[in-house]
This record gives sequence, C-alpha cells and structure tokens, in this order.
Amino acid sequence: MFRRILILAPIMVAATQFAIAASPSVTAVLSDSQPQIGQMVQLQIKVNGAQSANVPETISVDGLEIHQTGTSRQFEMHNFDVTSSVTYNYTVLPQKAGQFKIPPQTVRVGNDSLKTPELVLNVAQGSNRSSGSSAQSGQAAVGSKLVFAELIVAKKDAYVGEMIPAEIRLGFDTRAHGRLQEGPELSAQGFTTQKLQQPRENLETIGGRSYQVYTFKTAIAAARPGNFEIGPVTAKAMIVLPRRPSTTPRARPRSPFDLFNLDDPFADPFFNDPFGSMGERTELPIKSETAMLTVKQLPPNAPANFSGAVGNFTMKVDAKPKMVQVGDPITVASTINGRGNFDRVTGPVLEDERGWHKYPPSAKFKQDDDVGISGEKTFEMVIAPNEKKSAVPSLVFAYFDPIKENYVTLRSDAVPITVEGGAASAASVAAAPSTSAAAATPNVTAAAPAPIAKPQDILYQMNDLGRVGSFTPVYARKVFWLAQFAPLILLLGFVGWKIRQAKIDNRDARRLAALQHESVELLRQLRRAELSPQEYFSNASRVVRVKTAIAKNINPNAVDAEVAAKAFGLSENELAQMRTLFERSDELRFSGGGNGADKISPAERDEVLRLLESLPA
Amino acid sequence: MKTFVSFAILLLMTRALFAADPSAQFVKANQEYAAGDFQSAINDCEELVRSGQDAPNLFYNLGNAYFRQRNFGRAILNYERALLLNRHFAEAQANLRIAQDEARALELSPTRWESWFAVANENQFAVAAVFAFWIGMSAIAIFVFNRRRSFLALSILSLSIFAIAIIGVCQLGHGKNGNGLAIVTEDKVEARIATADNANRVLTLPAGSEIKIVSQRGDWIYAALPNNLQGWMPAKSAEQVRM
Repeated sequence: MFRRILILAPIMVAATQFAIAASPSVTAVLSDSQPQIGQMVQLQIKVNGAQSANVPETISVDGLEIHQTGTSRQFEMHNFDVTSSVTYNYTVLPQKAGQFKIPPQTVRVGNDSLKTPELVLNVAQGSNRSSGSSAQSGQAAVGSKLVFAELIVAKKDAYVGEMIPAEIRLGFDTRAHGRLQEGPELSAQGFTTQKLQQPRENLETIGGRSYQVYTFKTAIAAARPGNFEIGPVTAKAMIVLPRRPSTTPRARPRSPFDLFNLDDPFADPFFNDPFGSMGERTELPIKSETAMLTVKQLPPNAPANFSGAVGNFTMKVDAKPKMVQVGDPITVASTINGRGNFDRVTGPVLEDERGWHKYPPSAKFKQDDDVGISGEKTFEMVIAPNEKKSAVPSLVFAYFDPIKENYVTLRSDAVPITVEGGAASAASVAAAPSTSAAAATPNVTAAAPAPIAKPQDILYQMNDLGRVGSFTPVYARKVFWLAQFAPLILLLGFVGWKIRQAKIDNRDARRLAALQHESVELLRQLRRAELSPQEYFSNASRVVRVKTAIAKNINPNAVDAEVAAKAFGLSENELAQMRTLFERSDELRFSGGGNGADKISPAERDEVLRLLESLPA
Repeated sequence: MKTFVSFAILLLMTRALFAADPSAQFVKANQEYAAGDFQSAINDCEELVRSGQDAPNLFYNLGNAYFRQRNFGRAILNYERALLLNRHFAEAQANLRIAQDEARALELSPTRWESWFAVANENQFAVAAVFAFWIGMSAIAIFVFNRRRSFLALSILSLSIFAIAIIGVCQLGHGKNGNGLAIVTEDKVEARIATADNANRVLTLPAGSEIKIVSQRGDWIYAALPNNLQGWMPAKSAEQVRM
C-alpha cells in the first residue's frame, strides 16, 4: 500500500504541475505609455506557461505603426517547478499626437485562445516631457551614437530630505555588442543617492536604430537647500568596432546602403558579414547631460515629534495582549505605510506616557519598490502599565507632506485593553462616568492623589539548608547511564537464556528425529530377506535400543533386554524373546558366526519382526 | 609559647569545622540577614554556593538578600535557581514574582510544546523515558520468544511513552527554562543587532529579564530575547541559571 502511495505521489505531483503549467496566461505591456511623435515604444506580449504561441505579425491602429521585431523565451526553475514563457516584441511608432488604444489581441496557445488587455498610449506633440527634469539628449541625437547615457530626474524642485526618483538609461547600439565596463556613477554633491539596483534591460528603436537599453533606478534626496546640478552620469563601455587599415581608410568598399557616405562606423560591410573579418574592441566613456534641481528648506513650524520624515504616509497601530496585569509587557505594533524617506521614519511616540513604562522600539522595513522609496516600516514597542489602564494611549507620528507643503501629524486611536491589579490611574478615575460628582468636578477628582499601591514584601528566610540538589539534568549524569547496565544485563541474560533453551530443544528434537529415522530404516531392512543372521540380529537389537532410547530419551547404547522390557512393560514371554534376541545378536557379533544355520528361518524372522513392531515407536 | 600554639590550633580547628559544616555557615548567613547585614549574608551564601552546596533554600535566601539590596537581577537569578532545583518551591515562586514586578523584568514566553510538557520537569521525563524504554524492550523480548500479543501491545504502549518522554526532555531542555536560560543581572542592558557598542539597538532589557543564550562570541552572547527578538549583548551582563 505504502509502495503504491510512494509511486503514485510523484506522478500526482507531476500531473498537478503539468496541469498548472498547462493553463497559459498572457500579458501585454508598453515600455512607455506617454511617448512623443516619432518616439519608438516597445510593446511586449508575454505568454506564460507556454513555449510558443500564435500572435499577430502586425497590429493595425490608426496613427501607430506596429511591427513585430523578435521573440524571446525564458525558462525558470523554482523548487523543481519549471515555468516557461515566451515574449513577443513589437515596435510602436506614433505618427500623430493623441490618445490611442491598442485593442486586445488574440493569442492562440495550442487549443486555447487568449486575449491581451487593451493598452492606452498617450502621444504628446511637444519635444520635451511634461513635468520631469530630464538630462536626456534628444532621440534624434541619440540615434546617431553608438552608446548613450540619459539621466531622468522626476522633479525640478523638491524639499530637503524628499526622495526623488531618478532613472539612468544606458543604450548600446545592438551592432556594437556593447558591454558595460564601469559604472554608471551619478555625481550629486549635497545629495544622498540610493544604491543602484540591477538594471532592467530592453530593446528600443531610436532614430531607426536598435539599441539595447539598460535602465537603472535610484532615488536621490537633498541634504540642504539650494539650486543643484545633478549629474552627469558617467560610465565606461566596451564596444566592438570594425577594424580599418590606417593607411587606406576606404580600402574596403562601403555598404551599398550607405549611399551618402555618412559618418557611421556601422556602414562598414563588416557588420553585414561579421565572420568575414575581425572587429576591434574599444573602450568608450559614456557621459550624460546634467539635470537641474531646486531644493527648498522645510517650513519652520515643525511638530515636536517630527524626525525628518518627508513623504506621504499612513499609520496603523495594534497592541497585544489586550488583557494584562499591572507591570506586564504589552507589545504595541505600529506600521507606517507609504512613500518617502523611510530612513528618517522613526517610531511613533505615545501621546501620553504617564503611567506607562516604555522600552525602545525595534524596526523592520519592507520595501515595495526597487529603490526603497515605497514600503512599510513596522515598529514594535514594548510598554508596561504602571497602574490600571483602560487603553493604550494614541500614538503620534509627524511628517512633512511635499505635495500639501505642510506638516501632517498622524494620531492613532487608543487601543482598548484591560489592565488588572494595581491602582486605577488618576486619569481613568477622572474619566469614569459612573459618579456624577466626579463628572461635575473633574479637576478636583483629577487632582486628588491616586492611591499608591503598597509595594509587596518578600517572604521569610529559610532556616535550614535542606537537601542539596544538582543543576545537571539526570540524563547528563554518569550514574544515570551506569544504572542502565542493570536492566541491560537483565535483558541480555533473559535473551541469552531463551536462546540457549531454544538451541537445546532443537538439539534434542534433531536427535529424536535421527533415531526415529534410523529405527524406520532398520525395520525396512529387516523386512527384506537377504540379510545374514549376524546383520539381522544386530539390526534387530539396534531397533530395540533405538525405540527404547526414543521412548525414554536415553542413550541407545545403554539399552539391554531388561531396560527395554521395563521401558515398554513387556510380558515374561516377550522378555524372554528379547533376551534371546540380544543374546543371538551378541553371539553373532562377538563369535563371528552362530551355532545354528547360516540362514534365519522365516518363522524366526516373523517372530522377531512381530516383537519389534509391537514396541511403540 | 605553648598557649599561643594551642590557640592557633584551636582557631584553625574552628575554622576547619566551620568550613566543613555548611549548615553552620548557613545559620550565620541567616543571622547576618536578620541583623540587616545583607552584604555579609550574600558573601556567606555565595561561599556556600562556590563550595557546591546547590540547595534550593540556599539560593532562595541568597535571592532574598539580593532583593533587600535592591539588586533585582541577582535576586531573580537566585530565585530561578532555587526553582530549578525544586519546581514546587512556593516561597521562591512568590518572591520571584515580586522581584520581577519590582524590576519590571521581561519574561520569555514558553512555546506551545513547552506549555504542554510543563506537567513535569526534564528529569522526570528522563526517568519516565528510561522506565518506558526498558519495559518496552523487555516486552519485545518476551513477545519474540513467547509470541503473546499482550506483550506486543505492552511494548507498543511503552515505546510510545518513551518517545513522548524523549520529546518532553528535548522540548524542556531547549525551551524557555532549558539549558540556555539566563538572567540579565545588570539594569538597562542594550541588546544590539551586532557585536559592537554602536550597533543598532534591538531591545533594552531591565535587570532580571529572561533571555535564552544561543551562542557566544568572545565577550558577546547572542540570545533569544522576550517579544520574539534576538540580539547581541555583553556576556558579563547576564548569567546562566544552570551552574
């Protein structure tokens, strides 16, 4: 049964995985949803759970030119679970301004028919992006370069400490087989920069050329106010250029497509036949343009508990356990969620600390994005009530909101709890609605001194030393393990005795079986006529001995006529016969021959056989 | 000269007698405690502890003397030791609770398994395991030779008890009150995320707080702290309950 389960289990797991893998899904994304006229955008249709699919070659949308450019396949393995996906790349070239909708596309995967989501593309007329301050050079300019670097900063003005997302884009002409050697590095004096994450990689067509673009995301925050120049971004790349003889620069014919003798190193036919000749590896520095940023000072009227957090946050608070004794710890967990400089987000503070003993909080941050601007920071603070309380006081957290341009103080609701033991706090006595006098004169009640819990005293001393113990656990003491020898020896002794008994029983049984076998064999021979008198009487006496030995469990050689007669309770007549039998046997054995005839008469034979067969086996 | 030698011998004999009789020193410590000389009482008790007198009453009295000195960390440590030797020591339980309240000490919370196995201590589970093991093995041996089903049932039952008792020993040995249990003896000890004085704080522990030592690196210990936290703290700031 277990074997069956063991065999079936992996089959079922594999079947389940196959079933999961057999339900493909499709997604579609645009590399940029707000391009300008003439700016190429990449559209990716990704089919998960399949290795191939039928997708449309072209997608017709009025005002957009969409063509399929290539396919890529990915295989991923997580815990022996293999997933595959195939991505179909398209280039989208906007030809006029406006909002365009790329309708859902039908993707056929085996017998399944899937639909991509509808995508919206807002194509701008102007040459610059709307609000972001960008150091990117124009696409047309980029289009004539082998490599390019762009620094895109999301804002033109910000506050001190505000996290500003920034993007660094490094592009390599696909024909140059570019590889990043160093960097990128972003020089920004007076700023803190988040560590650059692993770049996103995609293929873009800019100015009619195909570029491999690496996008690094980061965030910057200004440490002081002023006007700043951010950048440039610098990096070093290794590219492959066609090798040309220095003396005859035009020895090799130009590409037939380079009609106008443009200064394009890739117009060389080398790139049409990369195996025809060797390329030259060249290190190329890359530098972007700078971006300008105006940093403003935070307003002066900061709340008392403002720690420098700038952004937009929300707060959740919970306390556990809800029922405690005075002095017992309560863990207050507060979660600050949102977007901003989380490194400056400190734990919320109790609005009213009276009657509470608090300990410094611990903090954990879980980021939602690549650069740590967005996420949630959880603080766990242990507090202990010094007196009876009905709720954990509100927690307060202050931050500066750069969009509203003012300070915001978040205040949580008080968490109701039950504190048992100790004296009730003055505040809770004052707040108790049951006594009308207390409600009428709240100040008097509040001012009255709260009853102070008398500290408990410890119990008496012990007058005798008592029994001495040991901290060593019993199983770590030698005597414990030595004591195990007693039952071990007993058990081994018992087992040994039983085994010996079994062996002895076995030996006796084998002996008896051998004797019985011998008795049967001898009787069989005696029934035959061809035996000589010596052999006949010798065998006959042996049968008596053997049968007696079986009956009395004694040595057969120690049996004589009397012993046999006693063993089988023979009559006088039978005893006499037995004696005669033994005498004849001895006579024939020791004298070498008998006084009688050479052969035994049939009557005598029958008589002996009857006697032998009358003995119980 | 003779008188001097006799006096010296008498003095040495008295000292030897005193040292050899822990009860006398225990009584002396009690007298010092009653007279309000808590430091002398502590010194005497500590000397007895060093001489190997691991008696619950001794640790209890020592805890009381530390309590009177408002050294709650050491008071709690000694009450815990008294309770480790005698888990039903009611006076030690009561005084421990008072000391913990006074110190606002943080306590480790037992795991669910530990709560289940709290019916007995580690030693009792170990003894139960041994008895169950040998009964089980004997029953198996008898079953092998005699083929009586009742012995098979007895062996299964005994070995099940053995397994449960072993789990109990492991859980209690590695649990809250297990081998690693230590008490913070200094006040406001900072547990940190790394072995450096300027590393970020994880938790500030009042004296008497319970911790479970996980490992030691030089002068630092890595410990499981109350509220399911972990952190590094100076080794000298805590003492293990088991000696």
